[in-house]
Amino acid sequence: MFATLAKYYAAFTVGLQSNLVYRVNFAVRGFFSFFHLVVVFILWSAAYAGNASIGNFSFGQTLTYFVALIVVQFMIGAFNEDYQISEEIRNGLINQFLLKPVNYFGYRFSIYVSARLVTGLLILLPVLVTYPLLKDYLVLPHEWWRFALGLPALFMSALVQFGIAYCFGLLSFWFLDIQGFVVLSMAVESVLGGQIFPLDLMPPWLFHLSQYLPYYYQMYFPVAIFTGRLTDVHAIVAGLGIQACWVVAILGLGQFLWRRGLRLHTAVGG
Amino acid sequence: MTLAHYARIWLTSARYSIVRTLMFRGDFFVWSLVELFWMTVNLLMVSVIYRHTDTVAGWSQYEMILLVGTSMLIQRFLMGFFWSSIFEMGRNIRSGNFDFFLAQPGNVMFMATTRKLDPDGLINSFVAGGVVIYAAHKLGLHPGFADLLCYAFLVFCGVVIHYSILVLSIAPAFWITSAQGIEGGYFTLSEFSRLPRQAFRGIANVAFVWVLPVVVVSNTPASTLIHGFKLPDVAWVAVIASVWFSAAVFVFQRGIRRYSSASS
Repeated sequence: MFATLAKYYAAFTVGLQSNLVYRVNFAVRGFFSFFHLVVVFILWSAAYAGNASIGNFSFGQTLTYFVALIVVQFMIGAFNEDYQISEEIRNGLINQFLLKPVNYFGYRFSIYVSARLVTGLLILLPVLVTYPLLKDYLVLPHEWWRFALGLPALFMSALVQFGIAYCFGLLSFWFLDIQGFVVLSMAVESVLGGQIFPLDLMPPWLFHLSQYLPYYYQMYFPVAIFTGRLTDVHAIVAGLGIQACWVVAILGLGQFLWRRGLRLHTAVGG
Repeated sequence: MTLAHYARIWLTSARYSIVRTLMFRGDFFVWSLVELFWMTVNLLMVSVIYRHTDTVAGWSQYEMILLVGTSMLIQRFLMGFFWSSIFEMGRNIRSGNFDFFLAQPGNVMFMATTRKLDPDGLINSFVAGGVVIYAAHKLGLHPGFADLLCYAFLVFCGVVIHYSILVLSIAPAFWITSAQGIEGGYFTLSEFSRLPRQAFRGIANVAFVWVLPVVVVSNTPASTLIHGFKLPDVAWVAVIASVWFSAAVFVFQRGIRRYSSASS
């Protein structure tokens, strides 16, 4: 048991070191994310001019949602895991995992956790720098049950995020270039994951439908719990159940693709 | 070097890009779909916001769609004509493959930034144009020939400004080994071009309307279609395009002087 954990801990520390090498790149990315926040601020403040609330939420609540979204993106978002997996398949680097007692999913997940630890900490810097400007607008709810329900939602969101990226990466067993599929999926995820606008502002039937799709649980669900956009405890608990089902389904799909993909894979070279 | 010589070089590159696209038809289809989806995302955002309000900074829903359509049109032209070449330029500078362009018979900036054409971006410029026409129709606009000519000229200036900003975003690769991520700044800045100018106040107005021309680029052509031709606005955009293009040429030339080949 400990020997197994030690293998993935080693992968985690290697991932930590290699991600720290690119800390400046992540910091630049975090910096530009706050430019996105400026766009959000300008657009939504113009939309709120003359409207005390939009969709029963104040301007402060909507801005808080977008700030939390950026932080959560850096904490759990799968940035380029799909691309890395794809490259390892295309270049034959996965051959080494076929010969060693290492589970490829476990290895990649360890690297993902280390990468998000670095980016999750780095995003706190621009948050702290901009906090004096933002603090008058941020509206955070004070109910402690939000943490009890929000943290498992956040953990499962990370699994959904990574699981989807893992599945897309494994498509390289069948396709030469998966970047098109990945960017196409990003467009769908950004809308149905609530990155472009809070999902609760969509027409009610579409919002209701989105709750049965995995994208809802990638980002919107935990952020909406933490920022107070979701208030019904029973609905949140039911959401956690649906999210757990999606985690099982996506991880199962990943395992299926891995097994089927390996049947097609040809390892060449010494 | 005559203009005809450069036109011949560009046509050869374009032919090569189109032949390559025809070889990878599946990729062309997927990437065309990708661009179409991202444009739809922008339009969805507009429609969701206007479900809850009638006006944003004085712009009605269809005026806003016309603005977003214009911004998309400029960006599709940039994507179609220049994006791949300029994006690869950063990688080539880092890897030393930029030597290839220094040895070519023509202006280095022209050769390096026009080598590849992306037909998927160009195909979607028709969709963006369709969005502009649809919004204009909904607004009951009947622009005259002069207005349309003026709109086309302003879109051209917009492409020049976006091209210059993109070159300036990539140029740090001449000085910094690891400039990856900086090019992402271009996309962040382009987000501002989908916002109405009247929404910018205080320091944001100074930074994004006057210092960085990202807002003027799309707002001026859209306003020209909606409210008609205004000479000072058109002249102002032409001046900005000239200044930013000159800055891009200057920085690029300084960068070439700094460039040291990394190849063996």
